[in-house]
Amino acid sequence: MRKWILLGTALCGAAPLFAQGQLPTPGQTAQGDVAVTIYNNDRALVEDKRVLNLPAGRSRQEFRDVSAQIQPETVTLNGRGVGILEQNFDFDLLTPAALMQNAVGQEVTLVRVNPATGQEVRERARVLAANGGVVLQIGDRIEVLRDDGLPARVIFDQVPASLRARPTLSVTVQADGGGPRPVALTYLTPGLGWSADYVALFDEANSRMDVQGWVTLTNNSGTPYVNASTLLVAGAVGNSNPYQQRYYGGGYPPPPPPPPPTIDRAGTQTAGRERLGDFYLYPLPERTTIADKQTKQVSFLDVQGAPATRGYEFNNGWLTTSQEPVSASTVLRFSSSRDGGLGDALPAGTVRVYQKDARGNPQFVGEHAIDHTPMGSQIGLATGQAFDVKVRPVVEERTRLSSSRWKTRMRYTLTNATPKPITVDLFQSGLVGDTRVTDESLKSARPNADQVRWSVPVPANGEAIVTATFDSRY
Amino acid sequence: MRAAPVLLALLALAARVDAQAIVTSPAPDRVAVTVYRNPDRGLEPLNLDWLGGYALVSETRHVRLPAGESELRFEGVTSGIVPQSAIVTGLGEAVLEKNRDARLLSPGALLDASLGERLLLKRTDKATGKVREQEAVVRATSDGVVLQTAGGIEALRCTGLPETLIASQVPPGLSAKPTLSVRVRSPDPVERDVTLSYITNNFDWQANYVAELSPAGDTMSLFAWLTLANGDQTGLADADTMAVAGKLNRNRVEVSPGEAKPIIISCWPQGTTSDIPLEELAKAASGELIVVTGSRIAAMAPPAPPPPPAMAERGGGDMMAEEEKLGDVKLYRIPEQVTVAAQSQKQVMLLKRPAVAVETVYRLQPSPSEFESALERVLVTRNDPAKGLGLPLPAGGVALFGRQQGRRILIGEGRVDDHAVGEKVEIRMDEAPGIRARGAVVGAGKNAEFVVTVTNDAPESRAIEIRLPLDARGARLVKYEGSVLWRARVPANGSAELRYRLDR
Repeated sequence: MRKWILLGTALCGAAPLFAQGQLPTPGQTAQGDVAVTIYNNDRALVEDKRVLNLPAGRSRQEFRDVSAQIQPETVTLNGRGVGILEQNFDFDLLTPAALMQNAVGQEVTLVRVNPATGQEVRERARVLAANGGVVLQIGDRIEVLRDDGLPARVIFDQVPASLRARPTLSVTVQADGGGPRPVALTYLTPGLGWSADYVALFDEANSRMDVQGWVTLTNNSGTPYVNASTLLVAGAVGNSNPYQQRYYGGGYPPPPPPPPPTIDRAGTQTAGRERLGDFYLYPLPERTTIADKQTKQVSFLDVQGAPATRGYEFNNGWLTTSQEPVSASTVLRFSSSRDGGLGDALPAGTVRVYQKDARGNPQFVGEHAIDHTPMGSQIGLATGQAFDVKVRPVVEERTRLSSSRWKTRMRYTLTNATPKPITVDLFQSGLVGDTRVTDESLKSARPNADQVRWSVPVPANGEAIVTATFDSRY
Repeated sequence: MRAAPVLLALLALAARVDAQAIVTSPAPDRVAVTVYRNPDRGLEPLNLDWLGGYALVSETRHVRLPAGESELRFEGVTSGIVPQSAIVTGLGEAVLEKNRDARLLSPGALLDASLGERLLLKRTDKATGKVREQEAVVRATSDGVVLQTAGGIEALRCTGLPETLIASQVPPGLSAKPTLSVRVRSPDPVERDVTLSYITNNFDWQANYVAELSPAGDTMSLFAWLTLANGDQTGLADADTMAVAGKLNRNRVEVSPGEAKPIIISCWPQGTTSDIPLEELAKAASGELIVVTGSRIAAMAPPAPPPPPAMAERGGGDMMAEEEKLGDVKLYRIPEQVTVAAQSQKQVMLLKRPAVAVETVYRLQPSPSEFESALERVLVTRNDPAKGLGLPLPAGGVALFGRQQGRRILIGEGRVDDHAVGEKVEIRMDEAPGIRARGAVVGAGKNAEFVVTVTNDAPESRAIEIRLPLDARGARLVKYEGSVLWRARVPANGSAELRYRLDR
């Protein structure tokens, strides 16, 4: 009992010292030389080189300012002459309730305030239990805390060593000698991710476009990374189902899966970028501070005057009639190849397309997501639907030849209200079973068993009609 | 004692951060906005709380930057800004990076940032009103607030005493609204116009057609409003305003409004021998209010937007939007600068045609069974100069008026989709209760014959169009655009009958 009070007093004495000596000033961080490697699938590898002042022998080191969503099982600590005895990640948080639970059997100071006079009365009390309410022993009386509803401050002598303000990583190390020494802490964390954003300014008259590429990285991990050397990896590593990840603290849900591919033909060229295994690497040119809840963009691509063309596509999903003409898709076609293209591999992201209006101001004309695209690929982005280009498919006749064989006569009317002749790629899909084209007004191609394609020239301010007869056997 | 190299490194770092000048651009000098529709809204009215369209905002700002490294913060951007779409032009190579910070100044963030810091703990004596302040170090904030005072460890607001924490400054990096900024490095001071363009949520527009049918019913005057809606918290003053018609591909991006954390107050178990909660007791004793320390950012629901005004009697000199082609969509430009205020709708004339030739057809697509129903009224024309039209028609709702003894009467509502020049235009209105059809089946199986009888209660004859499946067979049927049609006129106050079979 007596010993305990002495200990308490000692800690009380230590408190002002703590307040003066070790309080971090705003903007300070416990992080050292930080390197962050960010993957596309909401994952990052953090390497934090800190200088620890270790006593010789065993000591317990706490690591503040690590990611609030750290995956503790991936932590490694390396330093010359430093052995790891154990690693702990403590979730036992310092809360008023935990403080009271830890004080059971111990003494606290009770300050009662007289509501009429404001006079304070101090007494020592022993906490007997903290179940539902707090039961105290004061001298030889047993009392329930604030049972009378009157104000009463409870002052604890100390914070139990096991309780922490935030989930805290601690490592017990064995050092072969005392003194400061560099150690490297590495771990994986969700909450950091990146994607690319492209700004494409399309010059239709000259069939050219200027493309700027930006990497966009987001930090929702709950922690800032100060003055970090940052490397972005174009790819997803492990943990293919992000929903299986564990989230600590205020994590945001993971991003949706990537959109369907838009690559017409995948390229086979190697871009002049750093590579690691199958992945391209995009290092940020300088160190930067990635603040919490921050979206950061850095330029990585700037191409002027790459060739690009506009095309039109229409796909009739089944051998059916449309009650009204339907707009064809506007497709922006370009290449990522070295010659006549963007000349780079394109990390997954969103391409936003702009075109200049009559006064020369860029206006947004649609966007589309792209997957990781190798250099040398042919890309077709459906950016929207053409107001003035429409297609109306009509079933002219459907004849039953037998119980499993039908003949369908289709007519497609393509209209063009623009003052320029265009070509529309007209697809008829849904050719299930054995479906053959027995008669057609324009030669078709058969890119796959399920589809036929016509490249239909449509005159300026005019229309074109394609007819075809399908023989379907199921 | 901490290791000297770390301290030195940290000091060096702090110095670096301090060396960066912060330049704030409070508002744009000139602004242009182009509004895009929500393609999926259909006929639903514009809801300012939930606008599915978007806008491209281009702002011109005059900035002065010092030599060296600086952070240029753009204030007064919309709250629906999609940060990854932001483009800054005019600074060239000097831009190092673009940032958007969504850590907001809130009670919870203030306390979180003060973890381990010394704040003032202020207690007011309820009896005497005497204020006592003492220093306290925040030790924990995650679930309840734990403080360290000179006396020991205490929990905030578990005592029944009025107490609060007072900070001396706002921690760096917290702002009132999500802030877009660029980090710039330039060898010389810079003074120039910078353009900031970005895509923002919380905007939408629609066309609203007002048509008046002539007494003879063969022409209508057509007029359309361009209705813009801004559901954002930020208004755009004196903006060059445009709207784009056409369906563009866009993956909607939900933008986080920023993180605004409340302070969580939680205490140890507070059960007593009474079943009246302690807080109630305290309230009863003192009449004290429970103070809400934080709240979610949420806009209060504004009143429903007004319906589009009918074409009023107006004098000359209307301001009409100018149409131009933009790629494969249509751009409508409002010729003067207008203010697109926050949480508001604005209407400008989109088009006007005095006399459009129309035909009224009553249509039905019956099922081959017994039925009784009214026919749908459809106004049919062609988007041709010969018919009095001949201009792109953006999708929108149509209000059709007639005139009865000099008085305007709403006789129908419908909608049109986007129509290019030269296309057939069908405006589907409501059902006409006086033009009705009855279906009957005679016989069964393969020999079944279907009888459709259409009756007309009007003193004029009516054109009808019955749409049947492709395998319908009958004497008066014609094939047209993938359907089999019965086109006929039902005599005044009379009826017409059709018999058909299905070739199945």
